[in-house]
Amino acid sequence: MTFFGTLTVVWYSALPWLWLIALMVIIFLAPQVIARMKGYSFGSQGGMGSKYLPPLVFVLALFLVPMQTQSSIAYVNTWVDWMNLIGASIGLGIYAWFVFHPICYLRNRKA
Amino acid sequence: MPKKYLPFESVSRRDLLKFSVGAGVVGPLALTAGSVKAVNTKAHIVIVGAGAGGISIANRLTNSLQGAKITIIDTREKHYYQPGWTLVASGVWNQAKTETQVSDWLPKSVNWVKGMVAEYDPDNNQVILETGQSVAYDQLIIASGLQLRYDLIEGMDVGLIGQGKGIGSVYASLDAAAATNTEIKRWISKGSGTGLFNLPPTALKCAGAPLKMTFTTLHRLEDTGRRDDFNVEFMTPSGKLFGVPFYNDFVKQRFSDQGVTRNDFWTLKAVDADAKKATYSVKGGEDQVKDYDFLHVVPPMTAGAALENSPLAFQPGESFTGWMKVDRETLQNPDYPNVWGIGDVMGMPSNKTAASVKMHAKVLEENFLASLQGKPLTAKHNGYTSCPLITGIGKAMLVEFGWDSKLLPSFSFIDPKKESWTVWVMKERMLRPAYYAMLEGKI
Repeated sequence: MTFFGTLTVVWYSALPWLWLIALMVIIFLAPQVIARMKGYSFGSQGGMGSKYLPPLVFVLALFLVPMQTQSSIAYVNTWVDWMNLIGASIGLGIYAWFVFHPICYLRNRKA
Repeated sequence: MPKKYLPFESVSRRDLLKFSVGAGVVGPLALTAGSVKAVNTKAHIVIVGAGAGGISIANRLTNSLQGAKITIIDTREKHYYQPGWTLVASGVWNQAKTETQVSDWLPKSVNWVKGMVAEYDPDNNQVILETGQSVAYDQLIIASGLQLRYDLIEGMDVGLIGQGKGIGSVYASLDAAAATNTEIKRWISKGSGTGLFNLPPTALKCAGAPLKMTFTTLHRLEDTGRRDDFNVEFMTPSGKLFGVPFYNDFVKQRFSDQGVTRNDFWTLKAVDADAKKATYSVKGGEDQVKDYDFLHVVPPMTAGAALENSPLAFQPGESFTGWMKVDRETLQNPDYPNVWGIGDVMGMPSNKTAASVKMHAKVLEENFLASLQGKPLTAKHNGYTSCPLITGIGKAMLVEFGWDSKLLPSFSFIDPKKESWTVWVMKERMLRPAYYAMLEGKI
């Protein structure tokens, strides 16, 4: 596949989800920026939320990602299916950590 | 979604957006660009048909030729992503997902003649339109697709689809696909009854679609928790369900497991919509009449009268009689070297899918350019076709094969013989983007 061929497929795949991508970027950036202005770094103390919510997101994603594709975890069958599902769920778990960790930091700071 | 060009350069805004969205993701993978050098020619190239094949080759030739005049002939204003219609008819997609405008995809430099070809006159290098207008060409590419012959089933009319008479058909149109979904819902809400699913006695496009419709309907019936109240039967004129032996056996076994009665060598002959009765001719036996609550009609398919009556078609006694005559590897007509084919219209085993068109377009472009330059035709079509065989709503198998039913898997890590969620996600999310990239001539 050529360079622009690959880009074209990526573009049409992302097109229906541009709003979600933008929303996720905002949800990621807003707490990061605000917290960093108040001394936050990745090594800062988080809180209960950043400890338990990302794993919860991971576990929920295992069920919700297939549902979001109008399928079900019951049809996750091959090793490729499991790799894709676990990979997507880990990604969402990490994303959740990036969102919840600075939020917890800000809460702790307030308290 | 018309392309918008920035006033100061020839790169479209969409291409820039594609670059920004995609570069970070695929940059490292994308260094395999293989653009073809433009070939100078003054040839008038006429493309008959603005479906997937016609649009795809129009875009490719626009990029790879300089000085050519390209004309495309078709009356259609709308372009449909037809591989999505099984999802519409299964209640998974809404209609809007499959509809675009032909003008969204055609290059601006292509001359679009809104007409239908009534006659091919290859001896005089011209086609005659239904209006009587003749269009002369130096090179002709036939991408006229196929015709759905509902008229060959007595009593059948596309107007009956979704009218509460139990008739559905995923092939007829986008509205018919949606109406088929309505008809299936109506049958399910009755709580019992018989559904008859069919294959036609001719070659057909997307040969997996009748099976997919059966599997998704079975899924919906099983979801009611009262599967045993419904009778599902599948009729095959040839005794086969699928061309590739492995998948033929797989579907037979699955039908058996899911309680589908198979009636081999039965061909749908007539429909009495008011009485909800279907008449079948049975090989070696008497006609049979079946009552139904839902009937999925798959019509016989042909290349269309204009082509069938022309010297460009396979003649009686030859394989694929009535379909366009091409060398199945070079896609060139053996009798008229300036006539080429792409897509469903061609007479060859299987190959009436969008995935086939993707391969046809590559081979055709390469051979077409070689021919213009007086070089030998070196690109060979390997018969590639593909069908993500949906076996239930949420799972599918990635069926890819070529000549002689040889499996040609594109992804070494996807087992073509196993049902998979990943393949379902590809079907539901990725193949439409890939199709659009194909229309643009990018893949």
